[in-house]
Amino acid sequence: MTRAGVAGARFRQRKLSTKQTLQVLREDQVEKIDDDPQRHVPKVETGVEKTEETEHHLQAAISASQAAAVGGKVAQIYIPTPDTVVSSLQYERLYSLRFSQPATYIRFSSTVEDCNGHAYCMTAEDDAFLSSVNEKKSASALCNEDRFEEVMTFFEQTAQSKQPFAMVDNAPVLTYDEMESFFDETISESARSFAKDIYPHWKSQRLRRGNKTLMPSLKFETGAETDDSDPYVCFRRREVRQVRKTRGRDAQSSEKLKRLRKELEDARQLVAMVKQREIMRRDILAVDRQLFEQRAKVKDAKRSLGIKGDDEDLVNQKPQKKKTSEATPMQRPASTQLRLSARPDGRSSELDLVLLSDVLTEKENEIQKEIDTKIIQHQRWNEGYIDLTRRPLTPPPEPNVDSGFRTAITEFLPTPPSSVSSEVMDLDGDDGIHDSGREGLVTFRYASPSLDGYCQSRPSFRRRVGRGGRLMIDRRGMRLQSTEAIDERIVDKFKYDHDDEDEEPTYAVDPYDTLNMRYRASIIGNSREQAAHQAAQIQAVRRAQEEKTVASSPAPAS
Amino acid sequence: MAPRESSQDPVGTPDPVEKGFATLATLRIGVKAFVDKDGEKRKAEILSIQQRKGQPYYYVHYEEFNKRLDEWIQAERIDLSKEVEWPAPEKPEKKKTGTTQSKNSKADSKVPKGQKRPRPGTSSEASATPEATSANIPGKAPRPSKAGGKENSESIAVVQTEVLDGSTRLDDEEIDLEDVQDAAAAAKAAAPETFSREEEIEKLRTSGSMTQNQTEISRVRNLTRIQMGAHEIEPWYFSPYPIEYTEEDMMYICEFCLSYFGELRQFERHRAKCTLLHPPGNEIYRDDYISFFEIDGRRQRTYCRNLCLISKLFLDHKTLYYDVDPFLFYCMCTRDEYGCHLVGYFSKEKDSAEGYNLACILTLPQHQRKGFGRLLMAFSYELSKREGKLGSPEKPLSDLGLLGYRAYWQETVIDILMEGRSEVTVEELSALSAMTTNDVLHTLQNLNMLRYTKGQHVIVLTDAVVAAKEKQKEKEKLKKRHNIDPERLQWKPPVFTAASRTWNW
Repeated sequence: MTRAGVAGARFRQRKLSTKQTLQVLREDQVEKIDDDPQRHVPKVETGVEKTEETEHHLQAAISASQAAAVGGKVAQIYIPTPDTVVSSLQYERLYSLRFSQPATYIRFSSTVEDCNGHAYCMTAEDDAFLSSVNEKKSASALCNEDRFEEVMTFFEQTAQSKQPFAMVDNAPVLTYDEMESFFDETISESARSFAKDIYPHWKSQRLRRGNKTLMPSLKFETGAETDDSDPYVCFRRREVRQVRKTRGRDAQSSEKLKRLRKELEDARQLVAMVKQREIMRRDILAVDRQLFEQRAKVKDAKRSLGIKGDDEDLVNQKPQKKKTSEATPMQRPASTQLRLSARPDGRSSELDLVLLSDVLTEKENEIQKEIDTKIIQHQRWNEGYIDLTRRPLTPPPEPNVDSGFRTAITEFLPTPPSSVSSEVMDLDGDDGIHDSGREGLVTFRYASPSLDGYCQSRPSFRRRVGRGGRLMIDRRGMRLQSTEAIDERIVDKFKYDHDDEDEEPTYAVDPYDTLNMRYRASIIGNSREQAAHQAAQIQAVRRAQEEKTVASSPAPAS
Repeated sequence: MAPRESSQDPVGTPDPVEKGFATLATLRIGVKAFVDKDGEKRKAEILSIQQRKGQPYYYVHYEEFNKRLDEWIQAERIDLSKEVEWPAPEKPEKKKTGTTQSKNSKADSKVPKGQKRPRPGTSSEASATPEATSANIPGKAPRPSKAGGKENSESIAVVQTEVLDGSTRLDDEEIDLEDVQDAAAAAKAAAPETFSREEEIEKLRTSGSMTQNQTEISRVRNLTRIQMGAHEIEPWYFSPYPIEYTEEDMMYICEFCLSYFGELRQFERHRAKCTLLHPPGNEIYRDDYISFFEIDGRRQRTYCRNLCLISKLFLDHKTLYYDVDPFLFYCMCTRDEYGCHLVGYFSKEKDSAEGYNLACILTLPQHQRKGFGRLLMAFSYELSKREGKLGSPEKPLSDLGLLGYRAYWQETVIDILMEGRSEVTVEELSALSAMTTNDVLHTLQNLNMLRYTKGQHVIVLTDAVVAAKEKQKEKEKLKKRHNIDPERLQWKPPVFTAASRTWNW
């Protein structure tokens, strides 16, 4: 042993990590570096208690298996154990062939007590007593073993529940009268009749055992000091861990209990009401039946008496029916809200439903109305004023935003939309037909109007002044020229000639340039007619231009 | 490294013993005499004396034999021609001192005491490997350094618990093999006496099912014989069946509900009424050979108590001090037209603080040596796999338990290694088998498979192991070997509410 210790110290092994990868080798792949067999004697803790580890048979078995591990030839060694022998009792007599295995796995939750019938089991002595009792009885009133055990079980259980500490405090055995007063559903009528006969036997047995239970029972803790050292006291309960009590916890628990109580009460109420309803239904059925039978009798009577006609009393009166049918819808909503209520006028309830689209349009209309009133209001404020600041804030759109358009009788080359703005112009305007009085009005807009929806209408244009006094001509309703009119070569020529759509051409304009200032002044100074005139002029200019080129976007005219 | 100080054994004491010749009249409890056992003289301690029909009967425990071989003998088997050892006068006091001393000697002195008997497995490695090794194990650090008297016993108790902590912590960290042995041995050595009864009872209240308390386990067997199913069995150890049955020559146990009766007539009446045909729980596993039933100790109190009473007859260290609530019982049965016959069972804590996957395991004696123990163990690891946990059985193991487990572990580890991988970590082995890394390591060591060559550890599939495996395969061809088929396990790890898991009622 000392040698092994020395060797162990000399070849001090490195620490082995469980995460370390270890090669798995065969014996011939390993050099025999250490020929000291002692070094390989396992020094593993066994987990067996130390005082028992040295036991002869265990050591023999362990060394045998160790010898086998190093390749020795050893017969398997068993630890000797006391013998078991086949019982002299006949197994078949005690156990019967009752088991048939179900196809699925067994699920079972009954307890042993549930499966054992009456707890008391008769002894040979009981047998003798029982036969002596039966001798005196007539053949029809014999007490069988089951009855006997039932009674004994009842006595035992009653004694146990009424005198749980009989063993400790030497209580007197319960008298028969007491027993009789405790009769309950646990003991059947047929068994009760034997109770009086059996009682003396039970009492004598009980007395002989010092009023202890007749069937020996396990010793549980009694709370006595001797409990702890008594080896027969077993299956003690583990003391309940104290739950810390706080006011908050108390309140919580009481709240919980209250709620539970209320919910239970509600459930109970519900069930009670259901029950009531069902009882009423039953009554109705009974009444109906009675009515039917009575009528049948009446019918028979009428027939036998030869009374004809006037069968009114044989059927429920119409008006009556109506009344009930009218009454129902009145009650319905109160009783069952879950069910779709049928309308009293018989109209399908679907007609009542509001369509989503209707709601949406209504909403839209409302918004539009709101916008309109706002616009009118705004207009009223601005009446008689013109924003002449150099760079006016974007003004609200004037009414009849599209009224600035005038119809053009010309045909233009197709122009792609410059930009599709989200502000949708008022679409319901029959464009081109405008209030003549407003035709010349200069309208301020802050964005190019949408051209959607105007492609099919007559072309029109308008002039407007944008920020920084830019003057713009808007067109719309530009129709595609008939395809054959387009010279392909010309189209091809200008195919890449126009600017990118997104790019708005910018023109460097010096606002303090005299020319510009003068121009602005002239615009402001001019009357409406002048403006209209100018627009006409520009239009003319434009028209001339457009005829030659494909314009991509409304070009500023200034 | 746990020299096996014989002073700690209740049998055998290093203190000078009073010897002398005795007569029948002077024989008393505690005397150790030579007794004729199977044609051989063995030293045995008299644990109890009874008069039966005027004849004295002696209950003797043979030294170095398991308690299950304790027996009642008549006077003529006692060899009075040899000297007997008289019990020490103030035994408890003496014993305690002796224990403390020996422990301290183990702890600090590097020199083993002279009178110690050399034993296999004992070596002076602990002394040869100095502080460096022990520094690794937290439990070892606070060892008492001075050989004190009784006043040191308390601190030793502390050491003990810490050593246990240390050894459980070993699983995930680097392990020095020798340290493991050291610590384990130390833990083991410290175990028997340093656990006070109060401490142990408190510990049992919250976990475990095994006792190491001497007074708890060194009791005279109280039942004579039991009849169960088609067998008559001789009990091995004490079991707290109602004391009335100790007077009966035979106690009858119903094979299905495990109820017990002192009188044949009562038993027959019971059999006429009992309708149970299988353990009262849910079947969670079934193959051609066996079925497993899962039973909740809380719900089937009577059955589980009965089961524990039976198993206490055969498990020395099992304790029935507390009730069965916190355990689940897995009963293994064979089936025929009579019903499902209980063959063995194991219990398992619903929530084990120590990571045990099994508390008690028992194959009924009438069914032992048929491979049922292996199936029980395999099943317990199958459950651990399903839970995604590693597990180990609760300690202490019995001698049979140790052999059974070693056999199972060896087979399992070797099977994995024989699958043909070229390298593996201990953790992988552990994950594949649901065994703890400690158990894997110990198995490898035990088989002499863990070696150190060229500066690194390797696993060697030794020729002996390979040969044994081949032999086993041959045998399997002839006779079918039963295994647990995971596919047939219909089981989800049961979930318990905090209330039902705690140790209350």
